[in-house]
Amino acid sequence: MLEILEVSKTFEARDRRVMALQDVSLSVRDGEFLSLLGPSGCGKTTLLRIIDGLTEATSGRIVFDGIELQGVSRDMAFVFQDINLLPWRSVVENVEVGLEGRGVPRPARRRRALEALELVGLESVANAPPYTLSGGMQQRVGVARALAVDPKVLLMDEPFGHLDNFTRENLQVEVARLWERLKMTVVFVTHDVDEALFLSDRIALFRTNPGRMSQLIAVNLKRPRWEYNVRADPEYIRMREVIMDELEVRKLQMV
Amino acid sequence: MSVAEVGRRRATEWAARSLQWLRTTALPPLLLVIVILGAWQASGLFLDPLLISTPTSVLTELASMSTQGQIWLALLTSLEEMFIGLSIGLVCGIVLGLLMGRYWIVETILSPYVNFFNATPLVVTIPLLVIWVGISTQARLLFVVLITIWPVLLNTLAGVKNVSQGYIDVGRAFGLSEAQMLREISIPAAVPYILAGVRVSVGLAIIGMIISEIEVSMVGLGFLLTSFGNSFQTGKLFAVILVTSVLGVLSAAIVRLVEKRWFRWIGELSASQR
Repeated sequence: MLEILEVSKTFEARDRRVMALQDVSLSVRDGEFLSLLGPSGCGKTTLLRIIDGLTEATSGRIVFDGIELQGVSRDMAFVFQDINLLPWRSVVENVEVGLEGRGVPRPARRRRALEALELVGLESVANAPPYTLSGGMQQRVGVARALAVDPKVLLMDEPFGHLDNFTRENLQVEVARLWERLKMTVVFVTHDVDEALFLSDRIALFRTNPGRMSQLIAVNLKRPRWEYNVRADPEYIRMREVIMDELEVRKLQMV
Repeated sequence: MSVAEVGRRRATEWAARSLQWLRTTALPPLLLVIVILGAWQASGLFLDPLLISTPTSVLTELASMSTQGQIWLALLTSLEEMFIGLSIGLVCGIVLGLLMGRYWIVETILSPYVNFFNATPLVVTIPLLVIWVGISTQARLLFVVLITIWPVLLNTLAGVKNVSQGYIDVGRAFGLSEAQMLREISIPAAVPYILAGVRVSVGLAIIGMIISEIEVSMVGLGFLLTSFGNSFQTGKLFAVILVTSVLGVLSAAIVRLVEKRWFRWIGELSASQR
């Protein structure tokens, strides 16, 4: 179990302090798909980076399987919104990065990287340079890079935020499939209500000023959700309304 | 479509592209070159050849110096000195730049000296170099090293310190050690900066080579320039100038070739991202 205990984060600029996250407590169950949903500036990405150890919390703790985390955790892997593939490396070499960090010897590294690429259907471009791939393919490499280290928790930071709608929906289905198959814990940051509803077991709603968690809701929609028109499901529509109201999307529009 | 047809179509497309390139890119500058050369040649009819010579006599002189081997011998001497000096300068510059970028203490200690030397017109050190190591090849080498080290050093330093935060995040998130971070992230990410520094240093190496051959001891291309100048052999002087220009153009082309061959991603990066 992944426990987030009273985590706060304050950013200090020269003459002002910004409360990015205030007192967030949350438990993520093993094998659960949990989304952090909210508008930009609500601290959801900051929280994800704190979970991974990329950013230090001002106060609070992250506990994984009973052990308090210090620094970057080896049980977790991160998928970045900007993907950040290393342009001087081939696709498969990019996927090997995490294995290098874990000291896996070269032959095993290559084998596991190719396996991870196969999971996302990209083994055929293993030796291509990243810039020859489309944005959607590049992000699949980003996912493969994270899966290659066989993480217990997959942290995804708006991974499809820069992609067009068609590619995004394709990749949502692909992530849902991968999750059903690999049964790992996923913490997924998004500002897209439909994306969160399609993928998640539970959704943590975040609000701004200061960034904080406002509500945790369970999504009880039948899985697999790509096999039927989930968006037409009455429960889906009801939950969407609840979320929109809670995030005050409509109110904002009227201003 | 058959293979032959595809081949034929490719050939015609290539021919059309080449023709287009000739018309738009190659022809206009070529025309100007012809006009200038023509004017230069014509000026020989009423100006003293001692002043500006003519293109034809420059070529004749170049041919005769080439067959006599004089120009080759000078070129070889100069190239050797330039190559060794530049190599030492580049290696020292890159290593020092990396160390300074990596360890703040090294940067704090060395940056005043780097700024001092970089700001000094280094020609002034030549008499000192001669006092230290004598009128010798070593003095000339040392001068080339001294003049080429700074641009590549400063660029390497800037490159290592300006690695994109996204790449650093990847290294950290995936658990790379400090040594791996330097080897796998910082150095490759700094390569575009380093190559830009190399380009400047290569240009300076040629300048350093010629200056030291004139100022330290009379050998190589620098010697030819001085002696032809002093004896008013303008045609030969122009021929040597031409050789040094070609040398400059070729060196720059080699750096570009290295970049295209081994660092193709640099060009692709600027083309696709931002």
